[in-house]
Amino acid sequence: MNRTVIPYSNAPTARLSPSVMEKLTILTDAAKYDVACTSSGIDRRGDGTGIGNASACGICHSFSADGRCVSLLKILLTNECIFNCSYCQNNCNSDVPRATFTPEEICTLTIEFYRRNYIEGLFLSSGIIVSPNYTMDLIYQVLFRLRTVYRFQGYIHVKAIPGADPLLIEKAGFLADRMSVNLELPTSDALRKLAPCKSRNTILKPMRQIQNNIIQNKNELALFQNSPRFVPAGQSTQMIIGATPESDFQIISVAESLYQKFDLKRVFYSAFVNVSHNSNLPALSEGPPLLREHRLYQADWLLRYYHFSADELLSEARPNFNIYLDPKCDWALRHLEYFPVEINAADYKTLLRVPGIGAKSAKRIVKARQGSRLDFSDLKKIGVVLKRALYFITCSGHMMYPVKIDEDYICRNLLSDKTQIPRELKNENYRQISLFDDISYGGFEHVRISM
Amino acid sequence: MYVFQCEDSIDGIFTGVYDAWASRLGHKNIRLSSCKNENLTLFSEYIPVCTDFKKSRKVSRTLILRLGTGFYETVCSSAMADGSLRNLPMDKANAIYQTIVLALSLPEGAKVLEYLGEPCIACIFELRRQTRNEGHHLLEFLRFAELKNGILFAQIHPKNDVLPILADHFTNRLPLENFIIYDAVHQTAAVHSASKDYLIVDASSLNSDLICEFSPEEESFRRLWRAFFETIAIEARANPKLQIQNIPKRFWADTVELREKL
Repeated sequence: MNRTVIPYSNAPTARLSPSVMEKLTILTDAAKYDVACTSSGIDRRGDGTGIGNASACGICHSFSADGRCVSLLKILLTNECIFNCSYCQNNCNSDVPRATFTPEEICTLTIEFYRRNYIEGLFLSSGIIVSPNYTMDLIYQVLFRLRTVYRFQGYIHVKAIPGADPLLIEKAGFLADRMSVNLELPTSDALRKLAPCKSRNTILKPMRQIQNNIIQNKNELALFQNSPRFVPAGQSTQMIIGATPESDFQIISVAESLYQKFDLKRVFYSAFVNVSHNSNLPALSEGPPLLREHRLYQADWLLRYYHFSADELLSEARPNFNIYLDPKCDWALRHLEYFPVEINAADYKTLLRVPGIGAKSAKRIVKARQGSRLDFSDLKKIGVVLKRALYFITCSGHMMYPVKIDEDYICRNLLSDKTQIPRELKNENYRQISLFDDISYGGFEHVRISM
Repeated sequence: MYVFQCEDSIDGIFTGVYDAWASRLGHKNIRLSSCKNENLTLFSEYIPVCTDFKKSRKVSRTLILRLGTGFYETVCSSAMADGSLRNLPMDKANAIYQTIVLALSLPEGAKVLEYLGEPCIACIFELRRQTRNEGHHLLEFLRFAELKNGILFAQIHPKNDVLPILADHFTNRLPLENFIIYDAVHQTAAVHSASKDYLIVDASSLNSDLICEFSPEEESFRRLWRAFFETIAIEARANPKLQIQNIPKRFWADTVELREKL
């Protein structure tokens, strides 16, 4: 690909008209319900000719009042839209102030924020203005200016507009780090009801195209190391949770199949916030379903890093997550036959399944036990959360305290620690004991497992 | 017991390691201390260590040659940590000395860093984590301001000596900018001029007038950033506790968007 290299110092200087403040407010407000604000997935050193680099772990630059990370300049190109999706505040029937950025304004904002270390890069989405092709072309122009005129090498996440020409998506993909197409709603029925202009087909088509282009690009890179990289940080998507009546099991199964069939890097879940007050949508008196979203994210991590599958976590008979316990604890309590696990002997995958042991501490355990036998005090230093793990592990054949391997007993003890109870439930006037009313408080049983 | 009292810096500790090793008093009879006024113990002989860059460089070379750069970097980043912060089981300098002795005595060398069951390794691990975590936090929360002369200036208040981590990161990120990162706690500054490598200099005599004069655009971009920051939050999800957990309050004073909320 031929890029005309213009020295960075010749790039236009920073002058913005006063209306930019107004536009920025409108278009940030319109973009804030998009969840994906990560800057992870790619390590790229700057080449010294421009500005920026990228780091695979991702860098969050601030945290807004809702506690979510602010990593990228998350804005819409425009909030004009020809579609009428009822969950979206920018739909063509809603009465909101409209604004459109020029490509130059977006570039100036990005560069000036970036050099002050406010942001890690740009997240550019857009309403559909005139047509999907027209919108995608505007997005491409912004990326082209940033990458060539300003020699910007920071992180860029763009939306692929469903229905846009595959060629435009491909061209944008060679300039972006991550692309995403929003799945919007977990099932096609829900989509038909709430977003009549979109269909499952138009959403999955660009997703498949990006996947194919990434694979094709990998093959090219194997042959020619210097060929331009296509969407190097992979693609992601997002689903709205709680606008339609799907169960957790359906949602997590959809996510699993997206990971397997479309090689997605991430699926994001967005607790539904009723902004447009449309009659098609549920009224949420208790606010957005944040706890449910949290449980879905926990399960999502179990799918991606802990070798769990969706049907191990949930089933048709138990379609929703336990609100009191995280999915891993919940799974462990239902599968006590695998426990306790001996820390000094169990393999990595078995350790991963123990509540309180994460991917990092499991790796550290496997390495550390080559030097010496590990005891509970060592585990604490390694980073294992003992208050959760102690019911499920032994060190050299001993448990930390005398523990009865019994579902009700462990569950009661786990929940007796108030820090383990989600914030949403603490505020409610719930009766914890009612869950376990039928338990007899028996004596402690000393458990010793022979090695 | 012989106690080698060294300066609390990478060079000071490495000189201590060199002197302790060369003293031939037996590793079991030696302890290093980087703490200035620790409680003296009876029946110990205290030996002051005078920081010597030649000796320190010899130790660095041995570590790199025999144990690799990974090991060397780990030891350095633990030496950069503030050893008095947490209730560590042993002194920072002593943990470094014990780790080096252990690593050089075993055939597997640098792999000893994984043996978290050893108290000195656990201590090094904790110190390194402390430095790296704060280093990463400041990569995130550091804010540059454009001065009148076009130089980008940032001020930080870190607990650990994380300046090299930051300077390294921003030299690669902003190669064509002139920037200064000023560590107000340790009174040092990283200075970078366009297309060159950075320098770490003593900044105890920094002219505070120069750093208050901002370029004409600076204020407007700050306003835009604050507006963006306010708008991006979703009111229905407000969660101040989570915000503080993610960006601890001690970083707020040096940011643009949260300074006024303190």
